[in-house]
Amino acid sequence: MQPARVRAVRLHGRSAVALALVSGLGLLAFSWPLFVQPGSGLAHRADAPWLFVVLLPLLLAVVLAEIGDGGMDAKAVALLGVLAAVGAALRPLGGGVAGFEPVFFLLVLAGRVLGRGFGFVLGSVTLFASALLTAGVGPWLPFQMLAAGWVGFFAGCLPRAAGWREVTMLSAYGGVAGLLYGLLLNLWLWPYAIGLDTGLSFVAGDPLTENLPRFVAFTLSTSLGFDIPRALLTAALVAVTARPVLLALRRTARRAVFDAQPRFEASRPS
Amino acid sequence: MSLRSGMTAALPRHLHPGAWWLWALGLATAASRTANPLLLALVLAVAGFVVMSRRTDSPWARAYGFYLKLGLLVIVIRVVFGAVFGAPLPGTVLAHLPEVGLPEWAAGVRLGGDVTVEMVMAAGYDGLQLATLLACIGAANALANPKRLLRAMPGALYEVGVAVVVALSFSPQLVTAVSRIRAARRLRGRPDRGLRGLRGVAMPVLQDALERSVELAAAMDSRGFGRDGSAPASTRRVSGVLTLTGLLGAAAGSYGLLDATSPALLGLPLLAVGCLLAVLGLVVGGRTASRSRYRPDPWAAAEWITAASGVAAAVAMIVTAVTDDSGLFPSTSPLVVPPLPLVPLVGVLIALLPAWLSPVAPAARTGAVRRDPAPERIEETV
Repeated sequence: MQPARVRAVRLHGRSAVALALVSGLGLLAFSWPLFVQPGSGLAHRADAPWLFVVLLPLLLAVVLAEIGDGGMDAKAVALLGVLAAVGAALRPLGGGVAGFEPVFFLLVLAGRVLGRGFGFVLGSVTLFASALLTAGVGPWLPFQMLAAGWVGFFAGCLPRAAGWREVTMLSAYGGVAGLLYGLLLNLWLWPYAIGLDTGLSFVAGDPLTENLPRFVAFTLSTSLGFDIPRALLTAALVAVTARPVLLALRRTARRAVFDAQPRFEASRPS
Repeated sequence: MSLRSGMTAALPRHLHPGAWWLWALGLATAASRTANPLLLALVLAVAGFVVMSRRTDSPWARAYGFYLKLGLLVIVIRVVFGAVFGAPLPGTVLAHLPEVGLPEWAAGVRLGGDVTVEMVMAAGYDGLQLATLLACIGAANALANPKRLLRAMPGALYEVGVAVVVALSFSPQLVTAVSRIRAARRLRGRPDRGLRGLRGVAMPVLQDALERSVELAAAMDSRGFGRDGSAPASTRRVSGVLTLTGLLGAAAGSYGLLDATSPALLGLPLLAVGCLLAVLGLVVGGRTASRSRYRPDPWAAAEWITAASGVAAAVAMIVTAVTDDSGLFPSTSPLVVPPLPLVPLVGVLIALLPAWLSPVAPAARTGAVRRDPAPERIEETV
């Protein structure tokens, strides 16, 4: 049986444009070391990475306000809050095991069932709530929020499928998304972690073919040992939990009747 | 005024979280402008002293120690990478690592070779700077009450803010739900531990949570949550145009910053104007929704003093960096004993003032009476 598509958080014209613009800017905020040219405004300042740290919270606020304005009803807000609480509770569980992030399976499954707009907001809200609960507010937070938002967004964009095909697709997506999330956060960490003057640091103006191997070498020497097991664990977790969790989420989405549109009309004098 | 400011400093109350963040960001800005280990150590000490004298016994107040450990890790990583991959600096050789030839695609990456004291110290100074920045952020996390911070969210972010409040107040209920369902399973003789127990507990907890969200939504709907229709169409159009134009400007400005051939006007100025427009759009959009606040946190003399003391540290450091930055970046090649310039020293010491001039946070109301780990009361969050 193919369940109908649910859009718990509607992306209307304005918020979709804002989301696209902010995502583009966000991608730039992650990957600028790969593209920056010598002599440009960013290349010769040691505190250039901090520019995006200031910029990104602002952009996130703008896009979340745009999505929230008229796109979210009480049901979406309540479900967002509750699922974010579940996600925030799952997050410390991963702290003990090397690089294991159990929050992804919830993001993937909820994004799948409740749509891409909901997935994006859930990703950012979950990471934000968990940072507040664990005193983890810092310059990394807006980047984590944006990347987790993308994980939820693209889970809502996956093509239609049902049965074991759906479970396989979601599990594969969970693994890939977990890996890409790790790589993106690594890309963000790159200038901070090792500074600007080691052999593995980016060199402004070098072509992509030379900066990318440096980044790969940095990733190999730091975190790939965590990222690959994490991706595999996420994929396994999605595969195991997909069926019951999808059922529970779909049941709630059906009960909440997200797409119902009440219409108010001025009473006509009779 | 004098009576009022005297009263606010004396009575125990929570300082506005924004004041703590401004203070900490000021200190962090000061730390970002110097690599002098003496000044950085001073910033660490100042932040640590204020945290020690003004933190509460809440769970997040222990954050400072955690951030210090994180900073230590950063220093270790920087030093190891500086020693193994760093650009060679002449000087006293500390050790000789075997050099490794790397394949063609990794040309330009040096691996191993002579490790000099100068290399280690240069990497260590950089690492210490980052560790100090982290410690300042840790100080803000330890001192500012996150739930009160949430109340200061702008009006335009109302829906998302409510979702975060729901998340924060729901997470203690999740803990009680887990223990309730485990107890029920134990009574029925079913496993409540291990992998099978996990599945048996996790699914009912999730079902329970989803069930409650539907109930909560019904409760919110019946109390008139939502602001559709409250904003006139013209205001919404203005805020939308402002936001989208601002975002476009910010995008073009960022591109200008990365591209060396574009004129300077297309870089930082355009980015700043774009951000300003986007924020203006937020403000216009948020103003249309009128919200009442329950007991708003005041911004009184103590808040001004706290924020200003942090800003003073930043200003002192920036002024020194502009006029004479020889004391802020002590040379590591050749290695010298770092000096202690006077103006930044005084500036950072000013940031110590909140340790005495900010009000003490009131003692937790539940801790003294009840010994059992009661579920956390969420109050005054909206």
